[in-house]
Amino acid sequence: MSDSRSSRAAARSARKRAAERDQVPVGLYGLAPATSWVLTAVAALFAVFFLAPLVWLAINATKSQADIYSSFGFWFAGPFRLWQNVRSLGQDISGAGIFAHWLGNTLLYAVAGGVGATIMSALAGYGFSRYRFRGGNALFLLVMATLLVPLTSIALPLFLVYAKVGLVNSVWGMILPSMVSPIGIYLMRVYIDASVPKDLLEAARLDGAGELFIFLRIALPLSVPGLMTVLLISVVAIWNNYFLPLIIFSRNGLYPLTVGLSALSHGAETGSKAELVPVLICGGLVTVLPLIVLFLLLERYFRGGMLQGSVTG
Amino acid sequence: MTQQVIGAPGDWAHAGGGGSGDTARPRRGRAVSRRERAGAFFIAPHMLMLALFMLVPTVYAIWSSLFTTKIIGGRQFSGLANYRTVLGSGEFWSGVVRVLVFGAIQVPLTIALAFAFAALFDAGVIRGSRFFRTVFFMPFAVPGVVASVMWSFLLLPGFGPYARILADLGLGKVDFFSSGLILPTIMLIVIWEWTGYNMTILYTSLKAIPKEVTEAAVLEGASLWRIILSIKLPMVMPSIVMLLFLNAVGALQLFTEPSILAAFQPQAVSFGFTPSLFVYNTAVGSGEYELGAAAAIILALIIGGISVAGFAVRRRNGEFR
Repeated sequence: MSDSRSSRAAARSARKRAAERDQVPVGLYGLAPATSWVLTAVAALFAVFFLAPLVWLAINATKSQADIYSSFGFWFAGPFRLWQNVRSLGQDISGAGIFAHWLGNTLLYAVAGGVGATIMSALAGYGFSRYRFRGGNALFLLVMATLLVPLTSIALPLFLVYAKVGLVNSVWGMILPSMVSPIGIYLMRVYIDASVPKDLLEAARLDGAGELFIFLRIALPLSVPGLMTVLLISVVAIWNNYFLPLIIFSRNGLYPLTVGLSALSHGAETGSKAELVPVLICGGLVTVLPLIVLFLLLERYFRGGMLQGSVTG
Repeated sequence: MTQQVIGAPGDWAHAGGGGSGDTARPRRGRAVSRRERAGAFFIAPHMLMLALFMLVPTVYAIWSSLFTTKIIGGRQFSGLANYRTVLGSGEFWSGVVRVLVFGAIQVPLTIALAFAFAALFDAGVIRGSRFFRTVFFMPFAVPGVVASVMWSFLLLPGFGPYARILADLGLGKVDFFSSGLILPTIMLIVIWEWTGYNMTILYTSLKAIPKEVTEAAVLEGASLWRIILSIKLPMVMPSIVMLLFLNAVGALQLFTEPSILAAFQPQAVSFGFTPSLFVYNTAVGSGEYELGAAAAIILALIIGGISVAGFAVRRRNGEFR
């Protein structure tokens, strides 16, 4: 796998490949230069469509509540209030709850749930990939079938069970189900199939190594890029999860960002608590920024996961 | 995935480590049984979680849905009465029809846009395609809640910049939240959220097509459009079918966007605007948990039925592996 080679060589060969692919055919298509420019202009229009809301979010996070409504959305207006708005994220305005707590909660849920999902997926993906045991295929099909279970249909049943066993308003009620990741198992299985040679495991067994030792010392180190992909996908999924926490939490001190912001938006928009609007918008910006930074830094891991998902799916 | 039919569902218990009731095989193949146990050990944590957080709740929800809680008399067994109530509710069915219409328009639009740009970026006919690909993918980082809040402000009648621009263009006052436009507005938001994700998957699939295929077509004198539509499109069809599937299941569960917009325009988003909203409002809003559970199960069956039908079509076409 090219991942294991030095990153510079990989980058160079990637660039070369891209150049070959991009340059040679384009000339051969025989497109008029104008066509290429028109297509680029269309792409630029769509880029504006995709970027505009994020630009709006960044600009309006600096405004006061009155200016958000009265000034033109795509330009700055009035006093620059970004820092005041950020500071208000640490306060409980109008009793809706404290944004900073929600940020902490989301971090906790996303990191604990994401790491848990990655560990579970690595174990199960390895088990399904490198062992044959009775009923293994049936169990794998069962796991894949859970991909089709709609989240909105499982959240309410979870709540009903939580009400019985006292997990309502418990952080475990959010973290533990987030560790169940059928897509993570699928990705790990495919990744291990491709990058952990069977012969290597057999050789270690002949040398008398235990199964757990083989997994920890041989299989895991070879699967690091796959693990990164699963971790990232899980973190994003938990970070953006709305329906499950909405149903299982009733105390606003436990809300993640998504539920907290929706509570703010309900308060802000009914007009009764209009002073929440800057908190809502600034909070939206703070919610989005970490994931965008994560994307820009680790883009290739996201794409790695999608490639596997699409080619073998 | 290789498909092998092994045993009956009864074998599951054995893999879980329990080992009951099958003695057809000699127990003592030492290496084999050590391996079997190791394999079961590796998948055990996940299977345990799956059982506790998916299977148990589902079974319990089905059980609960057979009861009704009355103010006088408490919880009573009521058989299939809850199911009859949901199936007889016009509100529920209007939500089902609404998400079906929504999906029938939004899903093909999203995938068509995604494929068009993926193919153009892949062919290299658009300058700066790396930048564009990153920008298109960015909305995937935005939670549905934040996306809905942003778009609500952008489209706000009278104040929102888009409404202002339309008014300045002489198109008059457009109320994006009116009951006639609310569904297209939600489509706009969902297309904004998911086009880049679909585009990225299709782009990676297109990149996997060998360069020689394209070159041969060029030498034969095929035009770019011909190459994209007649050669590349069929080659990435499996990915497109998979995306159709994922997008459709997502569309049928539509919840976040209408529930946030409901705060802005309560009259445009009704109690059962989508089946998921119906479930939420019935259970959490009205406190009728058993009725909500029945609605959730019916929704799962509808989505499951559509998924199974999709799989059947794929298998018949020989795409399912």
